[in-house]
Amino acid sequence: MIQFEKFELANGLKVIVHEDNSTPLVAMNILYKVGARDEDPEKTGFAHLFEHLMFGGSINIPSYDEPLQKAGGENNAFTNNDFTNYYLTIPASNLETGFWLESDRMLSLAFTEKSLEVQRNVVIEEFRQRYLNQPYGDAWLKLRPLAYKVHPYQWATIGKEISHIEDATLEDVKDFFKKWYAPNNAILTIAGNCSVEKAKELCEKWFIPIPAVKLIDRNLPQEPKQTEMRRLEVRNDVPSNQIYLAFHSCSRYNKDFYATDLLSDVLSRGKSSRLYQQLVKEKKLFTDIGAYMLGDLDESLLLIEGKISDGVNPKEAEDAIFELIEELKNGITEKELEKIKNKAYSTVLFSEMSIANKALNLAYYEMLGDADLANQQEYIYNAISSADIINIAKEILVKENCSVLTYLSNKHD
Amino acid sequence: MINRNTSPNLVPPTKINIPDAVFSTLKNNAPMLIINSGTQEVIKIDLIFEAGSTYSSHPIIATGCNRLIEEGSGQYSSAEISEMLDQYGAYFITESGNDFATISLYTTGKFIHQTLPVLKTILTEPTFSQEEIDTYSMQGKQRLAVNMNKVDFLARRNFLNALYGDNHPLGIITEVSDFDKLNKESLLKFYDKNYRNKLRAVVVAGKLSTVQEEEIKQLINGLNFQYSNANYETNIDTLNPKNLYISKKDSVQAAIRIGKKMFNRKHEDYFDFTILNTILGGYFGSRLMSNIREDKGFTYGIGSGLATDINDGYFFISTEVGASVLNEALKEIYFELERLQNDLVPDEELSLVKNYLFGSFQRSIDGVFALSERHKTLHLNNLTKDHYLEYIERLKNISSEDIRRCAQKHLVKNTLCEVVAGP
Repeated sequence: MIQFEKFELANGLKVIVHEDNSTPLVAMNILYKVGARDEDPEKTGFAHLFEHLMFGGSINIPSYDEPLQKAGGENNAFTNNDFTNYYLTIPASNLETGFWLESDRMLSLAFTEKSLEVQRNVVIEEFRQRYLNQPYGDAWLKLRPLAYKVHPYQWATIGKEISHIEDATLEDVKDFFKKWYAPNNAILTIAGNCSVEKAKELCEKWFIPIPAVKLIDRNLPQEPKQTEMRRLEVRNDVPSNQIYLAFHSCSRYNKDFYATDLLSDVLSRGKSSRLYQQLVKEKKLFTDIGAYMLGDLDESLLLIEGKISDGVNPKEAEDAIFELIEELKNGITEKELEKIKNKAYSTVLFSEMSIANKALNLAYYEMLGDADLANQQEYIYNAISSADIINIAKEILVKENCSVLTYLSNKHD
Repeated sequence: MINRNTSPNLVPPTKINIPDAVFSTLKNNAPMLIINSGTQEVIKIDLIFEAGSTYSSHPIIATGCNRLIEEGSGQYSSAEISEMLDQYGAYFITESGNDFATISLYTTGKFIHQTLPVLKTILTEPTFSQEEIDTYSMQGKQRLAVNMNKVDFLARRNFLNALYGDNHPLGIITEVSDFDKLNKESLLKFYDKNYRNKLRAVVVAGKLSTVQEEEIKQLINGLNFQYSNANYETNIDTLNPKNLYISKKDSVQAAIRIGKKMFNRKHEDYFDFTILNTILGGYFGSRLMSNIREDKGFTYGIGSGLATDINDGYFFISTEVGASVLNEALKEIYFELERLQNDLVPDEELSLVKNYLFGSFQRSIDGVFALSERHKTLHLNNLTKDHYLEYIERLKNISSEDIRRCAQKHLVKNTLCEVVAGP
């Protein structure tokens, strides 16, 4: 249970405060509701590149990191398909420095050519390090366009290709900022050694002067229903074969999300789960296998990915997954249901161990509609029945809703 | 109008409050540390054994024993063990390092009563069945094959080998054929010798009731494990620094490791070197990051660190850079190392680093699990809280001259090994 208070500034910035005086620190989390799905299909990777530029100095402050470190603070950020999140932790006595820094970069950035040029290179190295220079690193770059034909989820946050990042201009950067980085498109959480009064006072001083912008309707193209199985086979210089199955599933906003999430848990949560026990331990077709929900804000994917044991035919491995899925549709036991609910309960508790995580959780659920959802997760999961889970399985775990990527080793035949 | 050009007044760090752990002694004389705080109903129990790689003929035995201990015990199969824990949303994390091996149970207050017996069975009667060993080996071999395609992995293992040689657990290079060393007999032997007979400490952290504390204590007393706190000596070959290039064709980046054998936290230069290392490559604003990432854009990330064991430690610089800028990146790394030996760190930068490290220390004790890690480190190194208080004191007093002296003593180029894996 995370206690909090919530208020909104005149410029539309939503603020959530969780006071915890047992820590000498404060965590400050700002979530901007913009992600890779908001990019131009010809300029992908931009939301993430932009995140890097947010550290390249703001309108009145030449460096973001230096003053923060001087105040004993530390920060980081991440971008996904739906939102971009910035967070810092700082000793409570220096909290105002956090407000000064975060409000100035919400007001405007410095937009220097040097910063753009350097961060373009840094992001290109990130692209190489994480996606090109790792075995199977490009699997997602291939899987997304297979599963999505029109929706922007067809590209990864890093972007479709390096050239999109190389071609980014300062004009693009400015436009992107003007469109999305505004108080009425953000959620600010303050968690830790800071009272609500103090947070209000600092918000009024630093954030109120920032004007709201007129937000445009996203109007993203919706993905048409998939009607037949899609396949892609990749051969590459990797040691073993892997398989990825992507099934279209509902959006995070949909009430069916919870049953779908539990469905992925029945499949693969813990070593006692069906996929691991049957396919790794008993049949030894895989050395590892897992299933998970992406939980995107628009219609999303349920993923099954497995590392196929050497010497096993990939088709045989794939058939075994579908066999297991069919068996699951016959029902799950009460004990299994209780197990995944207990797991959902402990996962929530373990995700709230630090003030930084609490701050992020509150901002995330506020984006979904209400910060208090953070405290309701346990009850929502508890209300799901076996029938709910089976119905989702029957609806989405079917071949015509599936995209299969088989990533094969050159060494095998 | 508010002034957005200058930072609000900063309050310089003064003192730090490290909440204590409560010590008690178990029946076998092993110490038990309890850190009872936190807001969430979660509990973590660590059992720490003198069962790291140092104590095995090959590191694969120590790691294998540690991983396989939860894969079946007594009357229960591996599947049943997983089932019994998963049922209550609990899980084990097992870790095996150079000195110690740890078995941790993560559970909730609500279900601790149901999960403690599972901890007991895996600790006291592991089976190490051939079938589980085979599965583990197959997974390990495949993982090794994947890692052999990563430049970062290649650079790291050859770097450690260059530092420690073929006779030290950190330096030994594991090959696929080494998995054949794993069998029921070798694992049981290692388990008997190093788990049953070498319990070093128990650390419990979370929000606990007196009843729960008592239940944990009873369980551990009932294990009848021997306590051990050995002061072993390691024999380390003296190796000359060398440069290596490992070729991995077609890679678009090159991984770099530069460093040398160093010391542990008891060395007189430990605090100074920690601060020096932070300036060099220990935080986002470090010199390596500022130069090689934020100014040149050669890499996604670069850092340096001091890894310590009970008896020694090593220093390393680590990065992956674009293959075409490898030589320039190396040049800049050595430039930064020399600059620290030649020039004094400006006051402004030193005071920034001091404040950053102070905040960083506060972050490292935020949350009951994080705090318990700090207490564990102290205890396993036979140190007290004074160690951290001395560190905070040194942080306040250290001068630019001290930093330069430390760099001159420890960062001289011809004492460093350089390992690159790339195209």
